[in-house]
Amino acid sequence: MELEQTLPILLGLAWITPLFSFVAILFFGPRMGTHGKNAASVATAAIVCSFVFSLSALLMWIGVHGMSGGSHGSHHVLLTDSQTVLVAGSAQWNLADHQASGSEDASEAVHPAHDADAAGVQPEDAHNLHHSPDSSDSHGAGAHVPISYSGDWYTLFKVGSLELTIGWYIDALTLLMFVVVSLIASCIHIYATGYMHDELHEVIDHEVHLVAGGHLHRPGRFSRFFQSLSLFCFSMFGIVIAGNLAMIFIFWELVGICSWFLIGFYYERKTASNAANKAFILNRVGDFGMLIGLMALWGALGTFRFADSVTMSLDDGKPVVAKGLFNLVRPAENDHQLIVPDGMVKASASGEIAGIMIEHATRPRDGESELKSRISQWRSDGLGSWLLIVAGLGIFCGCVGKSAQVPLHVWLPDAMEGPTPVSALVHSATMVAAGVYLVGRLYPILAPEVLLVIAYIGMITLVIAATIAMVATDIKRVLAYSTISQLGYMMLALGVGGWVAGLFHLITHAFFKSLLFLCSGSVIHACHTNDMRRMGGLAKVMPWTAGAMLIGCLAIIGAGIPFVIGFSGYYSKDAILAQSLSFVQNNPSHQILFLAAAAGASLTAFYMFRLWYMTFAGEPRDHHVAEHAHESPLIMVAPLVVLSFFAVVAGWSFSGEGGLTGLLEQARPAGTSEGASHGLLQVSLMIPAEHESHQGAVHRSATLVAFTTAALGLLAATSLYLWKFVSVELLSRMFGPLVIFLSKSWYFDELYSFLFMKPVLLVSSLASGTDRHAIDRFVDGIAWCARRLAVFDDWIDRFVVDGVVNATAHATWNIGLKMRDFQTGKVRQYVMFIVIGTIALFVLASMLWNSTIAG
Amino acid sequence: MNFFNILAEPVGVSHYLLVGAVLFTAGVVCMVIKRNALGVLMGIELVLNGANINFIAFGSPVLRGESTVSIGLDGQAIALFVILLAAAEAAVALAITLNFYNNHATVDVDRAEDLKG
Amino acid sequence: MNTGFAITTGSMFATIISVANINWHGMFFAIFALAACAMAVAVVLTDNVVRMAFYLVLSLGATAGLFFLAGAEFVGAMQLMIYVGGTLVLLVFGVMLTAQAPFVSMKTPQRDWVLASILAVCLLAVLVQASVGVDAWRTAAVSVGGGVQREAPEPSATPLGMALLGMRVDNDSSGIVTPSIRSGYLLPFEIVSIHLLVVLVGAAYLARAKRRRTPRAVETAGQSELKEEVRVAS
Repeated sequence: MELEQTLPILLGLAWITPLFSFVAILFFGPRMGTHGKNAASVATAAIVCSFVFSLSALLMWIGVHGMSGGSHGSHHVLLTDSQTVLVAGSAQWNLADHQASGSEDASEAVHPAHDADAAGVQPEDAHNLHHSPDSSDSHGAGAHVPISYSGDWYTLFKVGSLELTIGWYIDALTLLMFVVVSLIASCIHIYATGYMHDELHEVIDHEVHLVAGGHLHRPGRFSRFFQSLSLFCFSMFGIVIAGNLAMIFIFWELVGICSWFLIGFYYERKTASNAANKAFILNRVGDFGMLIGLMALWGALGTFRFADSVTMSLDDGKPVVAKGLFNLVRPAENDHQLIVPDGMVKASASGEIAGIMIEHATRPRDGESELKSRISQWRSDGLGSWLLIVAGLGIFCGCVGKSAQVPLHVWLPDAMEGPTPVSALVHSATMVAAGVYLVGRLYPILAPEVLLVIAYIGMITLVIAATIAMVATDIKRVLAYSTISQLGYMMLALGVGGWVAGLFHLITHAFFKSLLFLCSGSVIHACHTNDMRRMGGLAKVMPWTAGAMLIGCLAIIGAGIPFVIGFSGYYSKDAILAQSLSFVQNNPSHQILFLAAAAGASLTAFYMFRLWYMTFAGEPRDHHVAEHAHESPLIMVAPLVVLSFFAVVAGWSFSGEGGLTGLLEQARPAGTSEGASHGLLQVSLMIPAEHESHQGAVHRSATLVAFTTAALGLLAATSLYLWKFVSVELLSRMFGPLVIFLSKSWYFDELYSFLFMKPVLLVSSLASGTDRHAIDRFVDGIAWCARRLAVFDDWIDRFVVDGVVNATAHATWNIGLKMRDFQTGKVRQYVMFIVIGTIALFVLASMLWNSTIAG
Repeated sequence: MNFFNILAEPVGVSHYLLVGAVLFTAGVVCMVIKRNALGVLMGIELVLNGANINFIAFGSPVLRGESTVSIGLDGQAIALFVILLAAAEAAVALAITLNFYNNHATVDVDRAEDLKG
Repeated sequence: MNTGFAITTGSMFATIISVANINWHGMFFAIFALAACAMAVAVVLTDNVVRMAFYLVLSLGATAGLFFLAGAEFVGAMQLMIYVGGTLVLLVFGVMLTAQAPFVSMKTPQRDWVLASILAVCLLAVLVQASVGVDAWRTAAVSVGGGVQREAPEPSATPLGMALLGMRVDNDSSGIVTPSIRSGYLLPFEIVSIHLLVVLVGAAYLARAKRRRTPRAVETAGQSELKEEVRVAS
C-alpha cells in the first residue's frame, strides 16, 4: 500500500483512539471495575495503541524516505477531497494521479520548473532537495521542498470559498510529534495509574478546610481523570495532524478546555479552581490575538489550508489547483522565498484598485491585466506587508498564551495545582508544546519582523523564568519556571531562524521535562509536600527516582563531552546557541539575543542542580518527611526508566545525518534552508539560513560557550548547595530585595492585578451598583405597583365579582327552598293553585282589557 | 243591562253559560275537596260537562240571536269529541286509580305524595 | 214585558206564568238547569262516594236535557249513552272495586272547606260576570215581542253525521246551504277513534293485575287469594 494512503489511516487511528477511550469512560467510567479502576486500563490501552500506530507510521516513513534530511526524490503529494463533499462521513482518499508521468500538468501547477541559475547558491547541501517533475533524482540547483501529504477526511461545510474540513497535513514533523506525544502520554498514563490510586476510594482533601471545620470528604474521581487525559491527547493529536488553520483552532480550544478540566481537577481547592480559570482566561487573551491573525489570513487570502489542494474541475475534468497558505506566501515561482501574497497586496491597495477599475470600467479585462502588472510594483512599495505581519503576530499571540511566554506566562506556575501527571503532560508534550508547534508549522508564513518579535519574546521569557526558578522553593514551581524558560529557548530558536533547532529542542525537552515532572511527582508522592526546604537526602531512600532525576537534570542543562557525545539537551541547546550566534553575527544590533541565551544556559544549570541537591543530596532537613519517604512502586518507576532512556538518546544521530534532526530536516519549510531571508520593512534584518550555523566555526564556538556556561552554573550550584562554601542564607541576605523580587515572580501577578483586575473590578462594582440601586429599584418599584394592583384586583374579585355570583346563587337557593314548600305533592292543592291562577289571570286580563284595549 | 234582568229574559246563551259556570265551579270544588280519587274523577266529569254546555250553547241554532254569530255545527262536533275524550279519560283515570289502589291500598289522594318537592 | 216587575218578583217562574200561554221551552230549561246545578252541588256536598256517583248521574242527565232544549239532540243522546250509560257505569264500577269501609266516606278538613268555598265564590263570580257580561249572548232569537212562538229546530243528527263523514249539509251563518265546500270532521274523527283505541289498550294495560313481592298488611286474606288466582290465570 502506498505511503500516502497508509499514513492518514494510521495517524487517523492514532488520533481517534483516545477519543473512543474518552467517550467510553465518559459514559461507562464509574462502572468500569471498582470505583472505575479499569478506566485507567482503557485510557492506557488507547494511548498505547496510538503509540503503536504512530510508531508504525514513523517506521514506514523512514522505510520510504529514510532518516536523513535528503533522500531520494520526494514529491509533494496532494490528496484531494473532490468526492468527500458529496460522500460526507466516510473518509475517502482520492488520489491525484501525481506520480504518473501523465500528471505533469498538476505537478507543474504546484512546483513549476524554475531557472537553473535562480537558486544556484546551494553548496555542499547534499540533503537539500531539488525537486523538479522531470528529474526527481537530479541534485542540481533548486529549492528544497518538504515531503508532505495532505488531504481531507471530511468536509464540515462549504460556503462559497469558505471550506471547513477535517483534514491532514502529514510530514516528518507531524509523525515525530505523534510518536513523541503518544510515547510520553503512554508513560504518563501508566505512571498516573499508580500516582492517582488515592482517587480509587473516598478522598479526604487536607487542603480544603470546610467552614464547619474539618476537611472535605469526597468520592474519588479516578475515571474522570483518565477521561480528561484521553480527551487531552485526542485534542493534541488533532492540532498536530490538522491540515488547516480552522481545524487547528478548534483543537487549540479543545486543548484549552482540557487543561481547564485537569488543572482544576481538585476543584474544591480554591487555588486549583482559580488556577484553572487563570489558565483558561489568559489563553483566551492570546486566542483573541490568534483570531485576529486568522481573520487577516482569511480575509486576504481566502483559505485556511496549509498545502495546495487539487480538485477535478467540473467543466473539463482537468485538475484545478487551489493554492494553500504555504504556497501563497512562499510561491514556487519565487523559489519559495517569502513574498507578500497577491491577496494581501490587493487588500492594502484597495483604493488604487478601485481607481483602476473605474478607469477601465468599460473593459474589465484591461483593468485586470493592468492590475496584474501593478501588483509587483505595489509589493515592492511595501503594500500589504503590514497585513502579513499582523497575521503572523496575531497567530503568535495565541502561541504566547498557549506556550506561556511573557507576558501571558503567569498561568503556568499556577497550573501546578493540578495533579503532577497532568503537569508533566501539559508541560512537556501537549499544551505548551502546541504553541511552539504552531509557530513551527506556520513558519513559512511568518515574516522576518515577526520572527524577530518571537525571538525577543522568547529571550525575555527565558531570562525572566530562569531567574525566578533560581529562588523558587516549590519543587514543581521550579520545574514550571524551567518549562517557561525552555519554551523561551524554543521561541528564541524559531525566531532567529533555527527551525530545526527549535523543534528539536521541543522534542528533547518533551522527554526530559516529562521525566523531571514525573520524578518530582514521585518525590511528592513520597514526601507529601512540595517544599524543597523540607526535603534533602532522599537519594538514599529513592535511588531510582534520584538517578532518573539526575539524568533529567543533565539532559536539560545540555551536559555532554563537547564534540563527542552528550545527553539529548546537549544537541538541541547547542543548535539553538549556534543559530543565535549565527543570527547575531549577521545582525550585530541584536547581540543580546545570544548573550541572553548563553546566560540562560548558565541559569538553567544552576537552578536545576539546586533543585537536585536540595532534594536528594545532603542530610535530611525534615526528619519527619525523610522517615516516611519511600521509593515509588514499580508502576511509577518504570515510566521513569523509559523516559530516562529517551532523555539520554533522543539527540543522538545515527550514520551521519540520521536521527531526529535528519527527520526534521525533511519537514523543513520550503525556502528556509538556502539563502537568508530579509525583512519586509526593515531590509537590514536578516534571518540566516540554518545550515550556516552548522558550519565549523560557528558551531564550535557555540558548543564551547554552551559547555562553559552550563559548567559555570553547575559549579555555582554545587559550591552553594553541595559543598556549601558560602551560606545560602548569607547570600540571600546580601541580595535581599533582589531575592524577594524574584520570588515574587517579578511582581507580574501584582502588576496585572493593578493594571487589569482592579480596574475591571472597579468597573464591575460600579456596574453592579448601578444595577442594584438604579435598575433593580426601578424593577422592584414596578413589581411593587403590580403587587398592589394585584391585591386591589384580588379584593374586587373576592368581594364584588364573587359576591355577586354568590349572592345570585344564594338567592336562587333560597327561592328554591321556598318554592319547595309549594310542591306539596298533594293533587288537591295543585288544583287549588290552578284555580287561583285562573282567577288571577282573568282578573288581570280584565283589568288590562278595560285599561288598554277597551278603555 | 242589569245583572238580575237575566231571570226575566227569555232563555238565551247567557243562561246556558250560567248553568255551565255553576257546573264548572262545582266540578272544581269537587276536585279540591274530595280526598277520594273517584271523587276527584267525578269533579273532572263535572268540569268537562260545564264546558260542554258552553259549546252547545254557542253552537245552538235555537238560542242564536239575530245579531249573534253562532259557531254552528262546530259546537256540537266539539262537544261530541269532548264526550268521547272524557270517556277515554275516565277509563285511563280509573285504571290509574286502580293501580294506585293496588300499590298503596288506598284511594286517598292525600297519600299520593311522591311528587313532594 | 215589564222588566221592573220581573225584578221585583225575582222569580223566573213568575215571569213564565205571567204570560198567557206558558213558555214550555223556558220552563223545561228552568227545570233542567236547576236539576243540573242542584245535583252538581249535591255531588260536592256529600261525602259518600256512592251517593256522589248517583248525584252525578242525575246532573249529567239534566245536562243532556239542556242539550235537547238547545237543539243538539244528537249530542244529548250521546251524552246520555256515553256518559250516563258508559262513563258513569265505569265510575260506579271503580267505586265498587274500591268501596271499602274507610274509603266510602272520607272527611275533608274544615280548613279545606273554607278555602274551597272562598275559591268557589271567586271563580263563580268571575264566570258569572263573564256569562252575563256580553249583551249579544243575552238576546235570544225569539225574544222579540215576548210571545212569539219559536220555530222548531231542524234535527241536527243528519248534518252532524254527514259532517263527520266530511260532507257539510248544514246552514252556515248566512243560512245558505253549501254542501261540501266547508271542511268536515273526518280527520278529527279518525284521530279521536285512534285515540280511543290507544286509551283503551293503555287502560287495560294499566289496570291489569300485577305481581307483588310482598303482600301488603292491609290486604285481606280473600284479596290475597283473589290475586293468587289471577296470577295463576295469567
